[in-house]
Amino acid sequence: MIEVKNLVKRYGKHAAVNDLSFKIETGKVVGFLGPNGAGKSTTMNMITGYIAPTEGQILIDGVDIEEDPDAAKKNIGYLPEIPPLYPDMRVREYLMFVAELKKVPRKERVKMVSEIMEKTKTTDVSERLIRHLSKGYKQRVGLGEAMMGYPDMIILDEPTVGLDPGQIIEIRDLIKELAKEHTVLLSSHIMQEISAVCEEIIIINEGKMIAIDTPENIINMINDTTGVHLLIKGEKEDVKNALRTIKEVTNVKYDKDSPVGFVGMTLFSQGGTDIREKIFFNLSEAGLPLYEMKKDEPTLEQAFLRLTGGKSRQFGGRKTKKVKAKTEEVKSETEETENEVSEVESKEAEVKEAKAEASEKKED
Amino acid sequence: MFAIYKKELLNYFTSMVGFVFLAVFLAIVGVYFWYTNIGGMSGNFESTLSSVTFLFVILMPILTMKVMADENKQKTDQLLFTSPISITKVIVGKYLAVVSLYAIGVLIISTYPLILFHYSSEIRLATAYSAIIGFFLLGSAYIAIGIFISSMTESQLIAAVVSIIVMLVTFLMPQLTKMLPNDGKSQVIIIAIVWLLCAWVVYSNTKNLIVASVVGVLGEAVIWIGYRVKPEIYNKMLSKGLNGMSMSQRFNDFTLGVLDYSAIVYYVSIAFLFVFLTIQMTKRKRFS
Repeated sequence: MIEVKNLVKRYGKHAAVNDLSFKIETGKVVGFLGPNGAGKSTTMNMITGYIAPTEGQILIDGVDIEEDPDAAKKNIGYLPEIPPLYPDMRVREYLMFVAELKKVPRKERVKMVSEIMEKTKTTDVSERLIRHLSKGYKQRVGLGEAMMGYPDMIILDEPTVGLDPGQIIEIRDLIKELAKEHTVLLSSHIMQEISAVCEEIIIINEGKMIAIDTPENIINMINDTTGVHLLIKGEKEDVKNALRTIKEVTNVKYDKDSPVGFVGMTLFSQGGTDIREKIFFNLSEAGLPLYEMKKDEPTLEQAFLRLTGGKSRQFGGRKTKKVKAKTEEVKSETEETENEVSEVESKEAEVKEAKAEASEKKED
Repeated sequence: MFAIYKKELLNYFTSMVGFVFLAVFLAIVGVYFWYTNIGGMSGNFESTLSSVTFLFVILMPILTMKVMADENKQKTDQLLFTSPISITKVIVGKYLAVVSLYAIGVLIISTYPLILFHYSSEIRLATAYSAIIGFFLLGSAYIAIGIFISSMTESQLIAAVVSIIVMLVTFLMPQLTKMLPNDGKSQVIIIAIVWLLCAWVVYSNTKNLIVASVVGVLGEAVIWIGYRVKPEIYNKMLSKGLNGMSMSQRFNDFTLGVLDYSAIVYYVSIAFLFVFLTIQMTKRKRFS
């Protein structure tokens, strides 16, 4: 279990991490999410004892890492953003060195290194120099380093950055594999990665905690409108009349590029309500065939952008307003603009249709 | 600690640096040995050693430049310092690895007096070996200095250049001090200026103006009151102090056949001091 209490790291006057507290239970896979410069790496470097916090306390299985670093570090495997590899060592040689460094008993070393090479699929490059490996292989050797000694907790800092899609999937599978036996804390600024593997998400921005919850709950936190996209065969007026009776609809947006003879549209309603049944019955009563119906799921990306204020920020800048207030502001702003945009769009679409009809008549 | 030691020592031989070091070291000592002892028909191995001490200025930085700087640059220090092993053990392991490589070279040249002994039994082996011990200790002290400089930067090149300059200064110290004015007044002025610099270093490290100014003012007061009361103590004080930093000067005692304990203590303390400073430097980085 990792326990972080009121963690602060200051570089001069700038606080890279500002009063962060959270707890990671044993056996969980937790995602650490934030834009670039949010303080993810700094926090991880402090949890692993690489740098010292300015204030606050970190407990690894109840052991304070500043008081008894050797005991605390024994339970942690760490893969930093840049895998700490020695380019002029061979893979097996490197992993043997790591095993010795992590105090794996002499008798178990050879076996554990082979096992880990098996798991990370690096057995076939075991005698190659690390400098000659591809980025994907380097990352896997780095993962092997983090796994060495099978620590209770494995901490991975942006493990898939710079990899191609195939490699990303491989590393992700490896992480899932790891999660069966270890507590995993993994950082990323990529949503899919976190939602693909994590049971819990910690969102930080500018060194401060924004949210800590399951991915579903985080989506629900911002989920105040639900959209349903429809594709209906028929005239626009008929469709309008058929759907007018659904009271829950708060907004309507028409597609610009619906196929001829079809109406494509999105109906918005209050979050939590489900209008799909009503749509179905209303349309069937009116005799309008429904070709497509799809509920728009808000993505974690949207949640993330709203919660962090929609901007990524590098080190150095300062904001005076409190983050929470700021995010709420942004939230309401984006809602307003969405509504405006949809109205404008629907008007535009109507005008276009009218023009198109007019031109068709002329041709006739 | 043994893991680090083994890895570092092996690394010298996989990266060729170890072979190159030994080759150059043995070649230069060999050439001097040939000229002085074999060609010059002299049984005095000590003078050979004392004429090759300039080697350290070039060779030691090559050995030590990589030791910490490369870890800082490749970010492999993140592995070392997040492993269950203390910073002290990492640095001592590294230091011992470099010293071991150097010891291999010294072991090889320690057979040379035996070669001379083969030709003439009048060779004083005891003096020759006391000189070799001094030679080894001098090199080990230089290694500690080199590692300390390497720990302050990420660039091997900067580490090498700064090491060469520092070692050159300690090497040429006797000549440099001769250029200083010798009277009490100018020496006290230089000491006062140096003390002000020290106070500034204190300030830049602690960012605490009060502590720095107290240190500065108190020190200056002691210096100037001392000068008022007893000006003659400042005669040659600076020159003596600086000559104390001349590492090669001490080596001369060994070559005279004197196994001088104060010189041994001096070299060992320099080695300890700089290994200690490296450890502190590395620990401090965690807090910056």
